[in-house]
Amino acid sequence: MDSIFVYLNPETVSEGSGPLQGLKISIQPNISASGWPTDAGSNALINFKALVDATLVSRLREAGAVIKGLTRMSEFGFGLAGSRAGDAVSRGAVDAELVLDLMGESRLAAQRAVVCGFKPSYGLISRYGLIGLIPSMENCGVLSRSLKNIREMVKIIAGPDEKDFSLPDEKLPDFSPQKVNPKKTTVGVITETKSGLQGDQESALHAAIDELKEAGFRIKEMSFPDFSLFSLVHKIVGSVEASSCAGRYDSVRYGHRVPGAKNWNEMYLSSREEAFGLLVKSYLFQGAFFQFQRYDAYEDACRIRARLLEDMQKTMSKADFLLLPAANGVPTDATASLSGTYEQFSPTVFANVTGQPALYLPSASGSAQSGFQLAGPRLGDARLFAMGEYLLNLRQGGKS
Amino acid sequence: MEFEAVIGLEIHVELNARTKLFCDCPNNPGDEPNINTCPVCLWFPGAVPRLSQEALEKAALLCLALGAELQPKSAFDQKVYYYPDLPKGFQLSQAHLPLSRGGGIDITDEDGTTKRLRIHHIHMEEDVAKLVHEMEGRVPISLVDFNRAGAPLVEIVTEPDFRTPYQAMEFLKALRTQVRYAGSSECSMENGTMRVDANISIRPKGTGQMNTKVEVKNMNSVRHVGDAIAHEISRQSACVQAGETVVLHTRLWDPDKKVTLPMRAKFEGPCVPDPIVPAIELSQQDIKALRSRLPEMPAARAERFVSQHGLTGEEATFLSTDPDVAAYFETLLGQGIAPRTAMHWLTTQLIPAVRDRGQELGTTPVTPARFAMLLKMLSNDEINANAAREVLVHLFDSEESPDAIVHARGFKQVSDRGELDSLIDRVLGEQPSAVNDFRAGQSKAMGFLIGQIMQASGGKANPKIIRELLAKKLEKM
Ligand SMILES: [Zn+2]
Repeated sequence: MDSIFVYLNPETVSEGSGPLQGLKISIQPNISASGWPTDAGSNALINFKALVDATLVSRLREAGAVIKGLTRMSEFGFGLAGSRAGDAVSRGAVDAELVLDLMGESRLAAQRAVVCGFKPSYGLISRYGLIGLIPSMENCGVLSRSLKNIREMVKIIAGPDEKDFSLPDEKLPDFSPQKVNPKKTTVGVITETKSGLQGDQESALHAAIDELKEAGFRIKEMSFPDFSLFSLVHKIVGSVEASSCAGRYDSVRYGHRVPGAKNWNEMYLSSREEAFGLLVKSYLFQGAFFQFQRYDAYEDACRIRARLLEDMQKTMSKADFLLLPAANGVPTDATASLSGTYEQFSPTVFANVTGQPALYLPSASGSAQSGFQLAGPRLGDARLFAMGEYLLNLRQGGKS
Repeated sequence: MEFEAVIGLEIHVELNARTKLFCDCPNNPGDEPNINTCPVCLWFPGAVPRLSQEALEKAALLCLALGAELQPKSAFDQKVYYYPDLPKGFQLSQAHLPLSRGGGIDITDEDGTTKRLRIHHIHMEEDVAKLVHEMEGRVPISLVDFNRAGAPLVEIVTEPDFRTPYQAMEFLKALRTQVRYAGSSECSMENGTMRVDANISIRPKGTGQMNTKVEVKNMNSVRHVGDAIAHEISRQSACVQAGETVVLHTRLWDPDKKVTLPMRAKFEGPCVPDPIVPAIELSQQDIKALRSRLPEMPAARAERFVSQHGLTGEEATFLSTDPDVAAYFETLLGQGIAPRTAMHWLTTQLIPAVRDRGQELGTTPVTPARFAMLLKMLSNDEINANAAREVLVHLFDSEESPDAIVHARGFKQVSDRGELDSLIDRVLGEQPSAVNDFRAGQSKAMGFLIGQIMQASGGKANPKIIRELLAKKLEKM
């Protein structure tokens, strides 16, 4: 098996000092660290070295964290095929990992590693220095055994950045520890997510419902008839964004180049042909198809996305949190087809479409097959941490 | 069959904002290649574009100056095309929600009537990089200069309201004037800060048909736009009369051969909304604040020059076309110079002199204050017009005041009657034949004598007094 790290930081001491003093963190080669190889797991970016630190990297460093190195990732972080995300944390090599969450990767990697995985609200964390693929859907996720670590890290990296105007001008959540009163807290379970569950998914979800009930939370069953459309919208809108986004990989200034082309156009075509892997290539093809051949379908998907956002807002107005199943089994390279990938991520992709925060928590039993997801309203990240920490605390016999 | 043309223009204007549209790099495309670059405008992975507030304001002022309606919400889209001058694969442009809609310009048509030429919309976009084709030994190479990449542009898209090359040229001239007033761009086709594409189709005169259009590019002066449109109209007319069909394509204007030639079009796909650059939202207050920053527009200013200062329409239009000239003129009036004097000296003396020296009116060392002082001495009869012209030359070369130059160099006008009287007597004594000519009824001799007297005074005599005294003397003779 390939090594976990593709690059190790020769510096082992932190440059800054602050609340994250000594915390060891790994990132992936799609998160810029100045001078480090930043190929986003793709031959299309081979030999590209980041010119600057991503805002979140410089914030972590200033807060005293040590960036240990880069872990092996899937091409552009799309899906988990070929990725070692989660392994550095589960083997104790680092305290936390940063993994871009395009469709649920940080949560699924956490499931695989049996640790906590968190995808923040869209717009909470600066995009500056992140080499993504689906800008409107992705965000930087955090994995750690300790949810408190994740909260402390998100607190440091969240918030306005003068280098990224795309962050909405909104009030930041207060990340200090909060009290949770189970009797006054409603957790919604979406009926549509309960059907079609496979294998351990179903028993894990029921175990989670029982755990919450036992802790005194109010469980409310709710209907979200179009829940299955999240995958479809992600697939269409995401692939169009990806196709547009990846148009810049032309092999001219960096990236794999096929020698001997007769002209620029030929060089461009043959280099791209060789540079991208099969999964990403089929995704880009699909995006190009929707953009150039079926633009109407793309526009429909954008409209459906807006409607799904409204539906989710309505749903979140009736519950404080949502409880959702985790993925069916852990991803392997065998799922590296486009449809297989979307199948795998069908429980997590909703949060990427809506931009709401979502948290993967392993089950009390500590099996990769039996965790669950909790989601909150957009920018309700701090409350979601409080909820997660309350549950983990209960398991350890702590009192609320 | 008689044809008429249906013409629409697409005008790219490069804004004179200090920075590029989405980064802090200097907006100086002409600098040493690839000096003004950063990860954002090199379009490197991980860079995040940030819309420049200054560029947005310049664009918005331009819209208002053209009578367009700023939209409460506009947004950027990704215009996808693949070409080495755009190694990002897409250009950020506003395809779906432009910055403004509507607007237009009234021009005076060839027959003297006023014609309204409407604008469909105005949108912002980033410029692409510049390709430089060179030879490396015997191998042709293409170099990419990113200084221009991400430079702030607006595109003004007109309605197909134009029928003649004349209308297009008048529109462009008026547009240039108004955009200069707004302070948004120099709009120089020669320097490439204004680039014009024309969409041209023809139809039988009097019908409402909209036929296949041909796009013509690569004109680098307003004159060339007129020539290219005229050529394309006759080419299409000949084509239709020969029974051929006009096909949709793009042609390049060849200014040397004065013809349009077909070019290969770039592949261009539909635009998708950009997911990163936030939408631009302008409130009514924002728009009001922007409007208040817009100066009086040239047409209104020219009207005021006629009604307030008694200039002719032509003079007023000339003075108001360039905001620097108009401002200079008004500063002179503020210093107490009579409008006609200011107009005359500005247009016949100062502007040509400034141009000859390659200076700009806004920055020439002959400031309005110094020039006004000179004109004041002229109207107070302290110096005559000859001397004033000479002092002007000195004003360009020294920092001294006109007053000091006049005194130091003896330009002061001689108005002392006694002194002039003896000067006249001396000259009359020297020129008996001219005096005889005058007495024989040749009035031209008077002018000759005045010239001789002026010369004898070293150009300093007050010509009015000379004329008066000489007339009296000759009468008595
Ligand atoms: Zn730049």
